[in-house]
Amino acid sequence: MTAVTGMLEKNYLWRIYWRLAGVIMVCVVIALAVVSYFSHRVFDRELVPETEQKAATVAASVRALILKATGYGVAFNELYGVEQTFGEVFEENPEFAYAAVTDLDGKVLFARGKEADQAREYFRRDTVRAVGLDPTATWIAAHVNGQYFISMPIASDKPLGILHIGIDGKFVDNVLLEVMLDVLVVLVVSLFFTLELLNFMAGARLASGLGEFGQQVDRMRSGDFTATARIRANDEIGRLLRRIDAAIDHLNVRYEFLVGELDDKLRAATGPRREQLRPAVQALESIRARFRFGSASKDSETDEMNLNRIRAPLFAFILAEEMTRSYLPTYVNQLLVPIPGLSPQVVIGLPIMLFMLIVALGQPYLGSWSERVGRRRAMLIGASIATVGFAATSLAINLYDLLLWRSLCALGYAMVFVAAQGYVLDRTGHDNRAQGFALFIGAIMVATVCGPSIGGILADNIGFRASFGVSAVMALTSLLAIARLPTLEVRTLTSQRPSRGPRMREVVALLLNKRFMTLTGLAAIPAKVILTGVCFYLVPLYIVSIGNTSAMAGRMLMVYAVMMVLIVPLSASLSDASMRRDRYVSVGLIISGLSGMLLLVSDSFLVLFGVVFLLGLGQALSIAAQSALVAEHCQEEIRIYGSDAVYGVYRLLERLGNAMGPLIASILVIFWGYQGAFIAISGMVLVCGIAFTIATRGMDWTPAPATS
Amino acid sequence: MGTIRVRFILVALVVSFFAVGMAAFLNYFKYKSTIGNIVKSRVLVVGRGIENSVQASLQLGMQFSELSQLPQLMQREKGTDRLVRGIDVFDYSGQVIYSTDRARVGQKVPATWTQAAERSKTTEWTADESDEFVAGISVKNAFDLTVGFLALRYGRDEVERAAATAGREILLAALASFLGIAIVAPLALIVVIRRFERDLRSLEAAASHLEDRQQAPPSSGSAFDSAIGHLRASLRDANTSLDELRAKLDAAG
Amino acid sequence: MSILRILAVVACAAWLLIAESDAGAQAARRYRIYAITFRGMTDVERGFKEYFEARRIPVDITWRDMNRDPAKMAGFIDEIRATRPDLVYTWGTSVTLGVVGTYDAYDPARNITDIPVVFTLVAAPVLAKIVPDLKSSRRNVTGVFHVAPTEAQIRAMASYRPFKSIGILYTPTEQNSVVVVDEVREVSKRMGFTVIAKPLKLDAAKRVTAEGAPEMVRELKEQKVDWLYLPPDSYLGTQTKGVIIPAAMEQRLPTFASTEQLMETGALTGLVSRYHSIGQFTAYKAEQILVHKVPPARIPVETLTRFSLQVRMDVAEALKLPPPLPMFNYAELITPGKPTAPQ
Repeated sequence: MTAVTGMLEKNYLWRIYWRLAGVIMVCVVIALAVVSYFSHRVFDRELVPETEQKAATVAASVRALILKATGYGVAFNELYGVEQTFGEVFEENPEFAYAAVTDLDGKVLFARGKEADQAREYFRRDTVRAVGLDPTATWIAAHVNGQYFISMPIASDKPLGILHIGIDGKFVDNVLLEVMLDVLVVLVVSLFFTLELLNFMAGARLASGLGEFGQQVDRMRSGDFTATARIRANDEIGRLLRRIDAAIDHLNVRYEFLVGELDDKLRAATGPRREQLRPAVQALESIRARFRFGSASKDSETDEMNLNRIRAPLFAFILAEEMTRSYLPTYVNQLLVPIPGLSPQVVIGLPIMLFMLIVALGQPYLGSWSERVGRRRAMLIGASIATVGFAATSLAINLYDLLLWRSLCALGYAMVFVAAQGYVLDRTGHDNRAQGFALFIGAIMVATVCGPSIGGILADNIGFRASFGVSAVMALTSLLAIARLPTLEVRTLTSQRPSRGPRMREVVALLLNKRFMTLTGLAAIPAKVILTGVCFYLVPLYIVSIGNTSAMAGRMLMVYAVMMVLIVPLSASLSDASMRRDRYVSVGLIISGLSGMLLLVSDSFLVLFGVVFLLGLGQALSIAAQSALVAEHCQEEIRIYGSDAVYGVYRLLERLGNAMGPLIASILVIFWGYQGAFIAISGMVLVCGIAFTIATRGMDWTPAPATS
Repeated sequence: MGTIRVRFILVALVVSFFAVGMAAFLNYFKYKSTIGNIVKSRVLVVGRGIENSVQASLQLGMQFSELSQLPQLMQREKGTDRLVRGIDVFDYSGQVIYSTDRARVGQKVPATWTQAAERSKTTEWTADESDEFVAGISVKNAFDLTVGFLALRYGRDEVERAAATAGREILLAALASFLGIAIVAPLALIVVIRRFERDLRSLEAAASHLEDRQQAPPSSGSAFDSAIGHLRASLRDANTSLDELRAKLDAAG
Repeated sequence: MSILRILAVVACAAWLLIAESDAGAQAARRYRIYAITFRGMTDVERGFKEYFEARRIPVDITWRDMNRDPAKMAGFIDEIRATRPDLVYTWGTSVTLGVVGTYDAYDPARNITDIPVVFTLVAAPVLAKIVPDLKSSRRNVTGVFHVAPTEAQIRAMASYRPFKSIGILYTPTEQNSVVVVDEVREVSKRMGFTVIAKPLKLDAAKRVTAEGAPEMVRELKEQKVDWLYLPPDSYLGTQTKGVIIPAAMEQRLPTFASTEQLMETGALTGLVSRYHSIGQFTAYKAEQILVHKVPPARIPVETLTRFSLQVRMDVAEALKLPPPLPMFNYAELITPGKPTAPQ
């Protein structure tokens, strides 16, 4: 009950943000419509003549072929296989819809493709037939009922006939359709950018001020009138809070005065006077029982205001890394250097694996390191290293130095991630830790929605190297935002214990523990394997291998991220309420396992959208419940080794699963190709999911206290 | 409160700048790449004609270095499209064997050309020079060994001119829309912000009456009403208890 | 295990994996090739030589010609043993068998077993028992065969004019032919057309004769075949120009030749290997052995990937069957009297 009003005030602010964002989005949509309209006009005006010119060149080569055939003595109207040549023309030039050869009277001799309604009449027009008879004519263009025609005479030493090629009138629309998809992506990303920016620009003060207001209301409702010695800002909320402070102070002064007076009277009183004072004393007792006065204790202090500040820099930094997801494997492919003994497929996965490995191994140790040097400084160092990493990646010469630079990015990423986590831990107490982490995870998830899609679009248009440069700029921006974080380090009581990495013997002991490994080995690790294997390795490479663009890969990864953003909060609250977290994990795993099976149904790459959709759904269902399940499932182990160690090993193994994903995926590709790899990796996860369900069926579940 | 307004409007401007800018950027690049592709395939049609002829000669057993008819053919083909500036045929080591430009025979082509040819998955490849584009075809013999390459150089101006024209128009449209937003969005935003400001103002007004013991001011319908109500109730409650204590103290003398 | 140490280990491992490529350094010495031909210099030898010239690989080729006389083989073998060349080149099935023998019954005394041998212009290496399998000879032999795969030929025929049924005349006593007819039948099952194969008649001494061939052609036409396929058949090759082709022309039946010689007798079209390209491909295999030091057992026996589709325009005109338009781009169009000049 205590935190309810506080939450309401927080939601109020977000409701305002959504309304503002809605208004902004409507304006943006209108503006984009205007831009698209004008683009369409430009494309129409400029592209059509160019395409006609190309059609003329293609027609000239077809004509040369026809003349060669007639040169060998084949009669013009006895030519065979002209439609086959037309078919080849259509294949190489998909914007051509129709081709025909007519005789000098305009009668069609050979034709192929979609014929426009009035084409035949057009061929018989005098102006058109004149082209056939004029030896000096090059070609003419005309617009006939939705198709653009170019017509060219065929003549050896005497006129023979006329060649027509029809260009699909809608080809400009088709070209612009591809742009439309990207513009849609830009819209979605803009929406998320807007929310983040609003949050950033409105200032931490507003959010924290409202939050504190809510907290004050709750505290006072519960009878806590202790005075907090805080400095208030000079805006509306600040002034409001100051007035509340003043009211509390007045109360406290009254109370002190009354208590003092009573004490004096009690000391001076004797005998029957004492009896007279008794009701007053009782009243005081009852007041003391219901209310609290005085100064607030330090440990209820949480640094709400500064907590919010972490969101913007974290978002910017994670965005920088997420932007690379849709095109990194293709970039690696370009810089590939054959390594003897390793298949090229595996080599492509090496940078991703190395990245995940460094992040996995670094996390336990970076936690205590960032505590020692200070969270802000740790983040500054991490972001700087990552900036250098990104910039160097854009200039990479070949695979070897790429590995080095990606290691730098990984180091920086791990540093920032762990330090940001610690920052949140420092500034939250037990009651608002979940909210704090919701903020943390929220920033990351929004970055995973925006990053890959924008990155893919950039990569297609300005190239891989420049896109890494943009990531470097993004990391630099986050550096500036990190610099604005408070330099004063804060510790709340609950985070006083120093964190340490898991020790080797703990790792081994837990690895051999059946209960622990049921959860970790059958659920957590497979979930991460399919995540990195599919999203970071298979999707970008497969999409590009069938000739599609990085932007398309980015769109698919965006679908995955959107599913996570939508479903994780839902599944978190549902699984908390139902208390059968293991079911959520099972269902999530099985759905993830079925995702790749869609490729058995259809060959088209569009089915990949369904794959990432199901994958996102499955992952979202299981991920929220999984970590809470550790506390439930492994209570015995937590008792023996401590919750730190158990969670530490769990996370370590989970992240090693991250690193194994691309390796497993690449090996599967070697054996069965891309489609087979999708199916196989999903099959593996499906098997693990079923095994997990069977292993945990009928186990005794005791709800554990909620932990972070 | 002014700063909040300004800040939110700033957000609107930044986001619309990003969105409109990205849309314009996307349209421009799509246009440029489409035009580039159209022109390139035009040039490649010429190239394929030449490659066909080279293949025919190779099939007949001629050496790649002995195709005597090739230079004439190349000149003829170059004449069919004014866009093509020059055609080179070079071997796998990069040395030009035939060219429409006499001076180039015997020289080496830039390394980027051979690299692009090697990297390409098909027999067609492209390269970029500072003042022209290159479209190339790799010539393979009867057992799929690459014996040489054909490169057609064509000017950048056509593509760049077209892209510049389109770019200008798209930019104008983008600027116009952005200006439109810059005017419309703040007005629309202010409507929402005003409500927010009104809530905050009522909050502040209520705050000044926190300790009033009289009836509460009429609820203004803002979102904070219940909170204010709770505040007043709690304060009143505490004060009432202290009042009782006071009364009892007084009663005790 | 600090982070830095992990990174250092990873970096060292990465650098250690850098292999040194030594593709550049080729020895400047000249390679010695001993080449045995059957009937003098053909286009194959020309292509063979020109490949090395174009690639600037220094070779010294000793040419020895059998001149169709098998007795000369023993002397050549002795010379090979004496001079120990880097590579031996053999032309045709009989020469190759003379040098290396069959894979299951070769004699180290009379055959070469320790010097790499590259054969060329062998029609059917597996059938001739030179190699057990095209993938590897498992000994010091590799080479190039020149007959296009049957399926490629059938597809070439179909690309000229689609068909539902084809007819074949063949010599039943020639192993080669029988095998090819079987292959055609197999392709027919996969591609869905019918094959009507008529063996040539045998005389009283069980020797094949061309008697009754024109009638067989007429029967095929009555049985509604769309094409007459001419398999790589030695006896048939001698009869094609005089007997088979005239009969086919009379019946207005288009003919498809499976080898260059058959094409020269006047068939309408055929898928042939240009001897020049065969020679070059053989030289390519020799390069693998000499320069890149790949053992012959690891080099598969292959043929060209692209063959020449030849079309006789006078026959096409007589039959009123012009080639389809796309073919004018890639087919070799033969007009009698005019040498096939490049366009």
